[in-house]
Amino acid sequence: MSVHCLIIEDEADTAHFVCNGLKEAGYTVMWCRKSVEALDIATSEQWDIIILDRMLPGNVDGLSIVKTLRELGKTTPVLILSALASLDERVRGLRGGGDDYLTKPFAFSELLARVEALTRRSKLSEDVGELRVADLKLDLRMRRVERAGMPIPLQPREFRLLEYLVRHQNQIVTRTMLLESVWDYHFDPQTNVIDVQISRLRSKIDKGFSPPLLHTVRGAGYMVSVHD
Amino acid sequence: MTKLWRSVAFRLALFCGVLVIGSTAVFSAIFYFGTIRKLDQEVDQKIASISERLANNFEARGFEALQREIQTLLTDKFDVDTEIYFLVGPDGEKVVGNLSAGQEFTSPFDQPISREVIRDGLPSSARLVLHKLPNGAVLVVGRDMKDLNGIAKLIWRTIGIGGVIALVLAIGGTILFRYLLERRVGAIRQTVEEIEAGNLTKRIPVSGVEDEFARLSDDMNHMLDRIEHLMDGVRHVSNTIAHNVRTPLSQIRGHLDESLRAGASASRLTEAAEFSIAQVDGLIIVLDKLLQIAESESGTRRRPFKPVALREVVTTVVELYDAIAEAQGIVLITKIEGDPKTIGDKDLLASALANLLDNALKYGGRSVTVCVRETPETGTVSLLVQDNGPGIPPEERPKVIQRFYRLDQRVPGTGLGLSIVAAIAHLHEAALHLEDAGPGLLARIVLPLRVSI
Repeated sequence: MSVHCLIIEDEADTAHFVCNGLKEAGYTVMWCRKSVEALDIATSEQWDIIILDRMLPGNVDGLSIVKTLRELGKTTPVLILSALASLDERVRGLRGGGDDYLTKPFAFSELLARVEALTRRSKLSEDVGELRVADLKLDLRMRRVERAGMPIPLQPREFRLLEYLVRHQNQIVTRTMLLESVWDYHFDPQTNVIDVQISRLRSKIDKGFSPPLLHTVRGAGYMVSVHD
Repeated sequence: MTKLWRSVAFRLALFCGVLVIGSTAVFSAIFYFGTIRKLDQEVDQKIASISERLANNFEARGFEALQREIQTLLTDKFDVDTEIYFLVGPDGEKVVGNLSAGQEFTSPFDQPISREVIRDGLPSSARLVLHKLPNGAVLVVGRDMKDLNGIAKLIWRTIGIGGVIALVLAIGGTILFRYLLERRVGAIRQTVEEIEAGNLTKRIPVSGVEDEFARLSDDMNHMLDRIEHLMDGVRHVSNTIAHNVRTPLSQIRGHLDESLRAGASASRLTEAAEFSIAQVDGLIIVLDKLLQIAESESGTRRRPFKPVALREVVTTVVELYDAIAEAQGIVLITKIEGDPKTIGDKDLLASALANLLDNALKYGGRSVTVCVRETPETGTVSLLVQDNGPGIPPEERPKVIQRFYRLDQRVPGTGLGLSIVAAIAHLHEAALHLEDAGPGLLARIVLPLRVSI
């Protein structure tokens, strides 16, 4: 069953760019450009995710739509798209009920990775005591990792990095997603710090084992998967 | 008239003028009462007492004795010019005195009055006291006021002339004062007009006199210097931004142009698109960083500052950079003394530290130390990043904080890192110090310490 996606965006170019990309990725997409209809459509039908622009025609802040949705008890994941890039606006967007906040301009791979993370999120329970991918096992209670029965010592932050990747296995995870979720800070380090973190983690969990689990997806990010 | 009234100079001068005229009037009044009235009162007292004395004399010694005494007073060559004595018999006929007969003296009795009389055949104005004697005769004692009235006239004339002169002076002063004030203010206004028209180098001419206007002009000139300096800064920043944006834009344009030429291969197109995306991403980063600097510098962040545990900030950022340090073979040492807290924005402080670490790993030596140190005596906490690389020459240190200034053009970067750190420090009311670590660079941010939370 395909994933139903509602895009609320007044600017046609961005909307086409997002719609086409998501359709190619196998999503069912509906585009709505008016804020008045948007709330109707958002509430009357069942959506798996809503992608919402903040600055809508008629001086409407997309946040008001999220607020109304949440007041109606809808828990549909909402990804906010916005040209308002400051930290304050971001915090406001997430406090206002948004599940994720992406600033324009953005790379489509970043949007897709975030949409995937949001739509699949609910399927994995937070409460599992153990995560597995192939012969890699993460014991979440004891914070221990082993592969093919051999214990792998990891630093606490490396463990959180691996946990996030494994929770989102078979999904692309971008550098900024990792920075935001694993380090819980919102700033852009200039150098390739995340890449180096990943390659160190890779050398610990993949070196000497087969098949390789931690893959680099060129131009997009990283993915933990049994397959190439 | 309203226009004139709106002029401060006019109002001030008018006020002064009114003050001058008012004080002249008060002075004249005091002078008048102190002289003329005083003399008048003395005259009244004197004639009243003489009249009383003569009346007593009459009662004691009779009418004849009174006649004799008046006769004596009129012939004693004393006050001959001014004295007036006159006795009218009970039958209404003149008995003795120096007034001409036939003048009626009836009421009012026993109080000083002013009256026209004929004395020694000449008309004159006099001050008189009439007293009716018990036998029906009327005793008149008085004083000729000709001389005193002359003095009064003289004084009135003097006061009048003085008043007119004061009025003329006040009006003249008003005009002169207004003219002088206009001239000083006019110089300032003319300069302001020229500056408004775009000539920011113009300054208000300052005369040698150390008066209020000179001080005002001086202050305004200082303000203009500051504005001009800021404008230069803005112009410089705009130029560097334009330069740093134009360069990648022209590169993008060049690549796209080339890829559209006839015969371009598919791989050429892909390469151009990839190159363009990479350049655009770089531009976005520069834009974001510039906005971050502007936001921090303007200090308009609405998110309120909160207590921040620096231990956590430092640990997290170091944990982010430890892999890259390890990969480069650089020893990354962390020293945290106690559990220092400050008040601020944890994301921004982390960003500042990350930028300093970025620099240290890029340009520093083989060892980088991150240190947090409390100084309770001064109520501060220092965030230090020290490397043992080549450091920054002292004369370059102020420059590296400027936007887009890059010490080493060969190492890739935006040239905005230290500008961001400085702006974040500024927002936290802290300062960024770049010092010699001998060898290496010591970057220090001194934040206010928050002891209890």
